[in-house]
Amino acid sequence: MSVTAHGGRTALAVSVRVVSLVSLVSLVSLVFFVVAPAGPLVAGSQAGAARSGTIRGRVELRRVAPSVERRPTVSELGTPAAHDLSGRLRSVVYLEAAPRGAFEPSPPGHAVLDQRDERFVPHVLAIMTGTTVDFPNSDRIYHNVFSLSKAARFDLGRYAVGHSKSVRFEQPGIVRVFCDIHSHMNAFILVFSHPFFAVTDEEGRYRIENVPPGTYSVVAWNEGVSSEPMPVTVPTGGASELDFTLR
Amino acid sequence: MKLDTKRAAVTCALTLCGALGARAQTLPSDPIVLADGRVTLGGDVSASVGPDDTGFFNYTDYEHSALRLLRLDLSASLKAGDHLAVLGELRSENAGRPRAYALYLRIRPWTARPFDIQVGRVPPTFGAFARRIYSADNPLIGYPLAYQYLTSLRPDALPANADELLRMRGRGWLSNFSLGNPAPDRGLPLASAFSWDTGVQLHAATDLVDATAAVTAGTLSHPLFSEDNAGKQIAGRVVLHPIAGLIIGASAARGPFLADTASRAAVGDGHNGDFTQTAWGGDIEYSRGYYLVRFETIVSDWTVPVVRAPAIDVPLRAQATSVEGRYKIAPGLYAAARLDHLGFSTITGTLTRGTWDAPVTRLEVGGGYSIQRNLIVKFSYQHNTRDGGRVPRLNLAAAQIVFWF
Repeated sequence: MSVTAHGGRTALAVSVRVVSLVSLVSLVSLVFFVVAPAGPLVAGSQAGAARSGTIRGRVELRRVAPSVERRPTVSELGTPAAHDLSGRLRSVVYLEAAPRGAFEPSPPGHAVLDQRDERFVPHVLAIMTGTTVDFPNSDRIYHNVFSLSKAARFDLGRYAVGHSKSVRFEQPGIVRVFCDIHSHMNAFILVFSHPFFAVTDEEGRYRIENVPPGTYSVVAWNEGVSSEPMPVTVPTGGASELDFTLR
Repeated sequence: MKLDTKRAAVTCALTLCGALGARAQTLPSDPIVLADGRVTLGGDVSASVGPDDTGFFNYTDYEHSALRLLRLDLSASLKAGDHLAVLGELRSENAGRPRAYALYLRIRPWTARPFDIQVGRVPPTFGAFARRIYSADNPLIGYPLAYQYLTSLRPDALPANADELLRMRGRGWLSNFSLGNPAPDRGLPLASAFSWDTGVQLHAATDLVDATAAVTAGTLSHPLFSEDNAGKQIAGRVVLHPIAGLIIGASAARGPFLADTASRAAVGDGHNGDFTQTAWGGDIEYSRGYYLVRFETIVSDWTVPVVRAPAIDVPLRAQATSVEGRYKIAPGLYAAARLDHLGFSTITGTLTRGTWDAPVTRLEVGGGYSIQRNLIVKFSYQHNTRDGGRVPRLNLAAAQIVFWF
């Protein structure tokens, strides 16, 4: 993982490479070894692109994650500002096991998780390993982005509006992001080692493109809750429909 | 090909494990939300362990040492529309009977304007520290002296003269005087961080300034649920946010602190609102990057009846000043320190002249580590010195675990 700060007069570049053996061992100890799909996997992504298909559908949330604004504000002298929490309606749909070709090196990506009106925007971000995420502060007040997740442990410190710091995500996993100053601010970054995932819109609709033909297990995720893996077969050059119901 | 398959499988497995990891949060981290978001429950549990505080440097106005304390807090917010909310907090210390630490109604007359009226057992208006109620808000285990250290002064008992008061120097944890309640009991801190006052509070905010005013039954040092004398306390606080990361606050409070029974015993009827606590405070907080610095000073004057010679020079003044810093060393790991001094004005007895209570200085250093976001382990080491009392110097080490949701 590398952490970079930029903005203002200073430019700080700190690289931290910490591979926690304990974390790795604990992760591996949890492994349900999922063998890559038994379907007619293609040898490489380029070959697959020509005949690839699409998985699309909808994730229905029976019970929307509670609109947790913050802890009871007993010690506040007034009513705290309300915030838009519609980001909690977005889910992530991903292939549980992807074709081997998916793991070929790809150009590093870039994404942005903004801090705006005392919330992270977007609330859910799905990226591939190697992606660098910028965390600009668009508020007039300080924020302090941090995560203590196994997949990425970082603390960007406090910085003002107009400044930004970045983190490169090297390990797959789910990274919970918080603000050390505003306990109600939180976001999820789902880091995948393959490109076969999609974030739904607020209606729950998703579309995973360029999937090589074959049979896969697909999982839907929302606010820490995952569906059971659902099988789907992607035809050559066609589309498969797959809907989920969560909670 | 074999290598590719293995790599793919392991990578997939790690991807999956990440998902499992998120579900396997060991402890809940979000507040409990019921009734479509109208009811929110939060909790805060802290357990501190430390040696016996033989000098009573850390005893609070609930007679527990802050370094040996199991504290359970349950806070709740009930929203009744856009204009009304009921907020409350139950607190139990060392498995004792839960007390209503806070219980008030928050009214927002105009939803679009940041103006609130709070009625009931309301948050403290005065100062900066008293509203940092959650254990995680305090980077160390001990409290600033102004908010915790017990002076010898009591609201229900009075010294008849300066000699009597001088005899109680350094004995705020259990002082006794000849007028009013004769039973030994704890004294008063400058400002209580352990109970809240009851009354009405108004708060308005802009981007640059926050202003709060309150009328309450008790005083800064002796918050009350119901009145014990004829007067009310008036308190105000103004906070400026001139630039990001900088907070400058000023506070003032004044109200009668002496209970009817004590003033009657000293000077008879008709004076039950005359003996006041007046306090001024200033505080500054600055943070940037990985560090945070706080400074706070409080000056408190108490007026007490002059009964017999040698007379007590009133007002009795106490001044507390603390400087606190925190630095984040690594994600989840920080170091912190606080230097604190509490001084007192001088009075003259028959044979001696000295401060009316024993000045105290405390240096506390420590740090904390977040096992997860809302599970923190803290360590601290205190060096306490006092110019009087049975134990003039005491070093104390303590550990604390904090969990909140």
